[in-house]
Amino acid sequence: MRRIYVTIAALVLTIAAWAQTLNVQVGSVTYQFPAAQCGEMAYSDGTTLTVMNKTFRLSDITSMTVDQTAVTDNAVGVTYDGTTATVTVSGNIAQYITPTVSGAHVSIEQGSAVSEEITYTLQGTTTDGEFALEGSYKCTVALAGLTLTNPSGAAINIANGKRIQISAKNNTVNTLTDGANGEQKACLYSKGQIQLQGNGTLNVVGNTKHAIKSGDYITVKNLTLNITKAVGDGISCEEYFLMKSGVVTISGVGDDGLQCDLGGDTSTGETADHDDEDSGNVYIEGGTLTVTVSAAASKGIKSQGDMKISDGTLNVTTTGNGAYDSSERDSKGCGGLKSDGNMTISGGTLTLKSTGTGGKCIKADGTLTVTGGNISATTTGGTYSYSNSKAQPKAIKADGNMTVSGGSITASSNGHEAIETKGTLTVTNGTVYGFSSSDDAINSASHMYLKGGTVTGVSNGNDGIDSNGNMTISGGTIVACGSGQPECGLDAAERYSLYITGGTVLGVGGGNNTVTTTSGSQCVLSTTGSATAGTAVSVKSGSTTLASFTVPTGYSPTSGGGGFGPGRPGGGGQSGSSSFSYLLSCPGLTSGTSYTVTVGSSSASCKAATSYSGR
Amino acid sequence: MKKIVLFMMALAGVQTLLADDYPYLVFETADGAKTAVSSTALTITIKDGKLMAGSKEFALTDLNKMYFSETEETTAIEAVDVETLDDATEIYDLQGRKVTKAQMRRGVYVIKTKKGIRKVNVK
Repeated sequence: MRRIYVTIAALVLTIAAWAQTLNVQVGSVTYQFPAAQCGEMAYSDGTTLTVMNKTFRLSDITSMTVDQTAVTDNAVGVTYDGTTATVTVSGNIAQYITPTVSGAHVSIEQGSAVSEEITYTLQGTTTDGEFALEGSYKCTVALAGLTLTNPSGAAINIANGKRIQISAKNNTVNTLTDGANGEQKACLYSKGQIQLQGNGTLNVVGNTKHAIKSGDYITVKNLTLNITKAVGDGISCEEYFLMKSGVVTISGVGDDGLQCDLGGDTSTGETADHDDEDSGNVYIEGGTLTVTVSAAASKGIKSQGDMKISDGTLNVTTTGNGAYDSSERDSKGCGGLKSDGNMTISGGTLTLKSTGTGGKCIKADGTLTVTGGNISATTTGGTYSYSNSKAQPKAIKADGNMTVSGGSITASSNGHEAIETKGTLTVTNGTVYGFSSSDDAINSASHMYLKGGTVTGVSNGNDGIDSNGNMTISGGTIVACGSGQPECGLDAAERYSLYITGGTVLGVGGGNNTVTTTSGSQCVLSTTGSATAGTAVSVKSGSTTLASFTVPTGYSPTSGGGGFGPGRPGGGGQSGSSSFSYLLSCPGLTSGTSYTVTVGSSSASCKAATSYSGR
Repeated sequence: MKKIVLFMMALAGVQTLLADDYPYLVFETADGAKTAVSSTALTITIKDGKLMAGSKEFALTDLNKMYFSETEETTAIEAVDVETLDDATEIYDLQGRKVTKAQMRRGVYVIKTKKGIRKVNVK
């Protein structure tokens, strides 16, 4: 195969040796006209020469040469070399291109008559240069081994509202650095859409504001992008952000890692193929995105619209503390993933950490829907307080409803709830594990529906699983471990009920909520026992095991249990201050029938009932 | 296979630009005279109202146009001085007949001098 390529290339090179190119040099700019395209080149009045509709003043021409340079149509090359830069322009577009070169500062005006996409290829090194481009037609800026520093402005500044491809060429490393205390919006700025792509590497250092800013959307595909510093955001864009693949690493930023805002006043929502979309949405469809932010109340990835993660690897760490937002008169903590709209996670591997006060790993102002993926969310900070305003650390929080139908969630919080929704929580499938050392492990402000999957809530300081509305368990495997009295394993709010119509259920804590009989109720059993991680718990009918559990690792409640002694409906067995309430339910239980419930080495005969009187 | 096809198509695109050979750059002056200059490694300079292309020199105000050519189109209407004709070692008309200087009438001739072979138009 390789021989074929080499042979063909050799043939072409042989042919190339017979080609001619007229190079018209004007200062640092060379226009390259292939002989085959030149046609008649007209002189006029001894003052001008017109080649392919490009008119030169003869007095401006530094030299003209004919050589055998191969010319690619629609191409502009910029080569930086220390304090100078040279520009080459292919002949077919010469009439549309007006370069200005001052030292290594290159500014190009792309005429409005351009109707074919032009590729600008930048290479070389300078510590005092720039690339500025004006135009009104889409184009590509290829980075082919470029180290470009502009101490007085943006490294690349594109005042073109159309789609701009920024392509880091294969096997090249490119570094852009802008100047400090400038007026520029970013080190790499484009008024129009930026499509970041290529198989090379792009490093960006933003010393004034953002590292990369687009007035429209940004997409990422293939390239390796390292943002090592930004005074503002690492990436800031409008309309939407889409990452399809590639490796993006953002660190050293003074604000958010990645922020996407609405461009206009009204969201279009997601559109087919994102055509004319202005949603403020963030889409992560693949690749590896690693974001580390340290500023107070900063966000790793923030969308003014929705956030949709369907694949890829996300590693987001926030280390900043909370801060008081005087404009909103509210305390805010950091957020790993923050959507002002809804958030949907359907795939990918997410590793999220937040260590500062008031920090959250996931915060959806709208609904949170998880249908797939593996999510690990850990927050270790305490509460941020400003006067009476507080920002509480939570691993996962949704202001709207939260629905889990697949995937795996592991959430841990030292300060408050590991998982909290201000709406309803519905789990139909997947695995949900929440751990909190001091608050509810899993909490919903409204009703909770546990219909399937595996849901585990472990709290050493409050309830294991807590619904502030009704809690209805109809399927799945549910394990809720709460702290000692007055906390519960399974807890529904006062004036609301706990219904169990299915599932394999274990509640351990200082107590468990009263179970209310309803249509299709599944019987429950209760007993007491010690609350020790690793304890084996089982329900047997004779020698048949109907259900078995292991008290989860990490469960170490901070206060003693109280238990509910023998004689209570559904109750029986142990009691005492060192004993915790055990509430169990599984298919196959018959009301009024006794079963053997074993907690560790202690077994008790318990009578099943459709109701249970707890706290 | 698909890669090969794509590769060849890409190369064919380049080849389109490179395949044509234009060994001459022809300058045409206001009077219609054409002078072909070898385009090989040609350097053209403009200075003091003149354009120098290889060994040829043109007044900018006389130049009408230039173009690449596959053949040496020199209908070359050159200023041939007597001295040059005197230096002619051989003269041929366009029919290939060898003639003497005295036999030259209006028309195009090929003259051979120590400096080389030229095509001249005798008016």
